[in-house]
Amino acid sequence: MPNIPVSFDTSWIAPLTERLHEDGPWDKWELFKLALEAEEAMAVREFDQLQCLKYLPLLSPFPHQLQTAERVLNEMRGRAILADEVGLGKTIEAGLIMKEYMVRGLAKKILVLVPASLVIQWTKELQQKFGIPAVAQKKEYMWRQHEVVVASIDTAKRDPHRRHVLDIDYDMLIIDEAHKLKNKRTRNYQFVKEIRKKYCLLLTATPIQNEMDELYNLINLLKPGHLGHSTSFASNYVEGKRQSKNSDKLREEIEKVMIRNKRSDGGIQFTSRRVQSIPIELSQEEMELYEGVTRFVRDQYQAESGLFNSLALITLQREVCSSKEAAFMTLYNMHQRTSEDSPLRGQILQLVEMIKRIETHSKAAKTVELLQEINDKVIIFTEYRATQNYLQKYLHDHGITSVPFRGGFKRSKKDWMTDLFQNRAQVLIATEAGGEGINLQFCNQVINYDMPWNPMRVEQRIGRVHRLGQKRDVHIYNLSTVGTIEEHILKLLYEKIDLFEMVIGELDDIVERLNLSSSLEENLTQIIMDSKSTREMAIKLDNMGQAIRASRQLHVSPSLSEAAEQ
Amino acid sequence: MQANQVRQFVERYLAAFSAHIVETHPDYLTVKLPVEVDKDIGNRPFYWSWVEKMNLAYQPLVLTFAFHPDRMPDGLRVEHLHLGAMRMQQIFASAKKHGRFLCMYEKNTASLPGTGKRRSTPLVPWLGLNLKVSLICDKRRDIMLYLGINLHQPRLVHDFASFLFQLPLSPTIPDYFYTLDRKLSVEEAVELAKQEVDAVIAQEDQQWAMEARARLTEELDILAAYYEELARREPPAEQDKSESVEAADTPAEKAPIPLPVRATVQAREPVVEVKQSLDEYRSSGGRILDFLRANSIQETPREEINQEEWKKSTPEEEKQRRMDELRWQYEPRIEVHFINGGLFYLHSTPPAGKAHPAKTMRHLPASRRMM
Repeated sequence: MPNIPVSFDTSWIAPLTERLHEDGPWDKWELFKLALEAEEAMAVREFDQLQCLKYLPLLSPFPHQLQTAERVLNEMRGRAILADEVGLGKTIEAGLIMKEYMVRGLAKKILVLVPASLVIQWTKELQQKFGIPAVAQKKEYMWRQHEVVVASIDTAKRDPHRRHVLDIDYDMLIIDEAHKLKNKRTRNYQFVKEIRKKYCLLLTATPIQNEMDELYNLINLLKPGHLGHSTSFASNYVEGKRQSKNSDKLREEIEKVMIRNKRSDGGIQFTSRRVQSIPIELSQEEMELYEGVTRFVRDQYQAESGLFNSLALITLQREVCSSKEAAFMTLYNMHQRTSEDSPLRGQILQLVEMIKRIETHSKAAKTVELLQEINDKVIIFTEYRATQNYLQKYLHDHGITSVPFRGGFKRSKKDWMTDLFQNRAQVLIATEAGGEGINLQFCNQVINYDMPWNPMRVEQRIGRVHRLGQKRDVHIYNLSTVGTIEEHILKLLYEKIDLFEMVIGELDDIVERLNLSSSLEENLTQIIMDSKSTREMAIKLDNMGQAIRASRQLHVSPSLSEAAEQ
Repeated sequence: MQANQVRQFVERYLAAFSAHIVETHPDYLTVKLPVEVDKDIGNRPFYWSWVEKMNLAYQPLVLTFAFHPDRMPDGLRVEHLHLGAMRMQQIFASAKKHGRFLCMYEKNTASLPGTGKRRSTPLVPWLGLNLKVSLICDKRRDIMLYLGINLHQPRLVHDFASFLFQLPLSPTIPDYFYTLDRKLSVEEAVELAKQEVDAVIAQEDQQWAMEARARLTEELDILAAYYEELARREPPAEQDKSESVEAADTPAEKAPIPLPVRATVQAREPVVEVKQSLDEYRSSGGRILDFLRANSIQETPREEINQEEWKKSTPEEEKQRRMDELRWQYEPRIEVHFINGGLFYLHSTPPAGKAHPAKTMRHLPASRRMM
């Protein structure tokens, strides 16, 4: 029989003896009974069964989330990498596990380290969805004063905070976006390694981005030595930087510490995406403006006068596709920056005059038509503040209610706008930055008024509505002005890369793998600026699209990511 | 706990403090919190230290609790109470705090042999102990024990609490009764209880502990092998060299500024704890908020925090820390917690049978209320 140490609580003997001696004060019989009932309600009757659900009557987790929580509890013993693909609810899984250990009385002191931008969101979610009294770390005293603290890793690792964190025994440590800890030589990695913890959850959607070492480092943070020393790991499992050998054995080892739910596993039903291009014929005046601006932009780019950098020029080129108001603001600023005797002033003023003469609003008019046809909640995305303001006024003039949404809004204002949109307005007009951090699953119609050139940003836009919890198919309308670069870009993103046909999160992998996010916009700029004719531009864009397609289909087998994915 | 059970619990809790129920409705209830309740569940420690230090009349907190998430009243600031709600946990904690120690007498009026003849009847002193036995490794299970120990004629019974719940009890000794003396001290009774707890534990299936030990051993072995290999492959000297080129996460990041170690602490005058009253404090020009902070937020004294410059752990330290973590996580242990208890002077005799109730019975709460 194992000799298990028993600690018998004796702290109550003295107070009871004293009360016996003094004959009181005694508590009430009813409260005595209630205390016992409370204790019975909270008692953990089984080792293996999930207890937390009876504490979470408002939460209905998906089956894969419950299974994950059970596996972490019963098989991984509270130390795991949660590596679900994007959109499957890793936060819910982490919350379930956290709550489970809390109701079992096994975790009190808990630290959640997340990127600074997510601190408030995590805190709110833990409080609202899980009834966990989490606080966002703001002041130094909070490390010790509060049991569940959410903080940014960059704050936590600095003095004086670091001293507190490394001095505390944490029952549980949770790290979101853990793939940022892939390099073991960074200070963040060293810091996390030094934190004393009993249970530990590492959350990441991309456990392996490039090299096999990354996963090794992540696992070594969780359970040093689980995969042996890095040298033996290399000789046992690594063929090349991205290739593994003994894949079955490796997979088995990884499965002991990592759970990766995938959309393709089934069981999780995502609604489909229906994408439509809405071609828009510009009026003659509008087309003249477009051509005028295009000529101006190209001349300035090739003249390399140094007055305007290529970013400003390409922005102007894109703005004129979005709305004349957006282009107007930039032209105005450019005018202010040129000296009074510059010949450019004349050219700019000429363009401004053209804007003033335009009476039609082809794109906005089409949008109103579309909105009336849809007759439901719609989110319109645009990249430009000026377009946003102008659209809001234009919709208002046509009897359509709308609310604005920007990244610069405070959290409370964002929530307020979301609320207004849900209950009062038909349309939410969001600028790019405003796309993050809110859930709008009650809406299933998205209009891309103009297109970002970075596919990840397109994905983020759609991701606001197309995620777990969306019950209807998602309709995406891409406005495209015929005969402009907008049309070409859309062709590239939509037809060549099949951007919209991808399932949620698939794009993450591709963009990461091809390192597209930094280079795509640059390449596009070059192609558009350097092409001498529209035809040349079309051919170059086509080539680029084919290159992306080709590398996407290129599969190196057996790659480690595949081994880890099984 | 179902919604109606939550409601009943809360109503009984509030009644125990004679709370004033402002409004009661099938879906919700509005209550004016009594002082004790407010302090326990009101979440306003600042307010309370303020009221008490200033000697002010307090404004009672009025809260509305709803019990069905789909039937929340409109236009009211209302809180949904359920088992997992933070406020419910505070109510539980408050009930436990105020329901710890008891002294009750059985008032059995009818069918006493002595009735009418004005002859005194003896009451037997029992120590009732409600304990929670927690079996802990990386997981946990609780066993509730409701022990009763006869302090007059030493013997121990199980399931004492549910027996008590059937008896008419009173906080004062009824007329024509007298109490028999306690031949067993509390300490001696505790010894009996401890022995019984040990016996109960011994009867339990030990599989969980053996499995936890096996997991611990396996993990420790892996760890030992890993650090052995590490030492072989990366001798300390060489490692220092390679580790010194640490990449910074951001180029702008500077090395932490070393704080003067301990010197500042020692140089400081020993702080004499002077408890200022709020009036004194205010008359000396201090801000009220600062005063409240100073008096209600505990900050860790600087000298208690390790002020030494941070150094990366050596592999030895790292291994030690990881071993400690593993033991913390897996090492099987049993904790016996006191829930509440007290002295019960009884005329009736609890059913005999010292044996620990059958396993299936144990899952039945003594209060007979299924949660």
